[in-house]
Amino acid sequence: MEKNNVLKSWVEQYSEPLLKRAAYVLSDKDAAKDIVQDVFLAAFSYYESFEGKSKPLTWLMAILNRKVSDFYRKKYQSEPHIKLDHFFDETGSWNNNEVLNDWDSSGKETHLLDDHDFNATLEDCIEELPSRWKIPLKMYYLQEKKAQEVSQELEISTTNLWKILQRSRLQLRECLDNNWFRKS
Amino acid sequence: MLRKFIHLLFLPCSEATLLMEKQNAETISKKESRRLILHLKICKWCRAYQQKLKILDDILKRRCSDKKENTINSSDIQDFKNKIVERLDL
Repeated sequence: MEKNNVLKSWVEQYSEPLLKRAAYVLSDKDAAKDIVQDVFLAAFSYYESFEGKSKPLTWLMAILNRKVSDFYRKKYQSEPHIKLDHFFDETGSWNNNEVLNDWDSSGKETHLLDDHDFNATLEDCIEELPSRWKIPLKMYYLQEKKAQEVSQELEISTTNLWKILQRSRLQLRECLDNNWFRKS
Repeated sequence: MLRKFIHLLFLPCSEATLLMEKQNAETISKKESRRLILHLKICKWCRAYQQKLKILDDILKRRCSDKKENTINSSDIQDFKNKIVERLDL
């Protein structure tokens, strides 16, 4: 009976942070609900193995991470093909001079995230990335850039993680350049 | 043309930008680091990119530690809670 009460209070307290995290990582509300439901089902099944050494939310978040990884692995089983020809020519040199554009960032970037419009633009740019790249990118930053851990969890090689990060960042730079820095 | 030759000889920009990711995560080897530094000395494009990489890194770091704005509304969350409680028969 005690187990049921504890679980009930967890559902009450932690559904919101878990759903928000899942919706953020997966960029999909319905998938987030499914996955958090799985988290609670797993928590119910493995409740006895929770020893109270960590906070309940930490434990639930760890389960969520594992579920996200399962989701990712199932969806993307083959090796990713990451092409850079949009950015570099056949010798590996930059295709154009856009990268030299001035972002006029001196002391300004600390305030960028306080700017509602900038956040919206950033959001759009991130969401434009294919989920195959944006899930690792988000997990990389959520897990404080522990590349080893992220690549193990998602079962991608670290080399591929570097390529995914590189490709995502090249695109983010271009997107923010086009939609923010050269507009404002 | 000379620039392209030099870049190819030392390290093409397409690879230098990959090494920057490793450098950013502090997992770059000494050998890679030396190659990258040399490349950056002669390549103003990659120097410019590196600055922007740092800005992007800072933005992404701070953004992901921030609580995200409402992606799921409260009535959805309530429905979800009810469903789970029922499902688990709590």
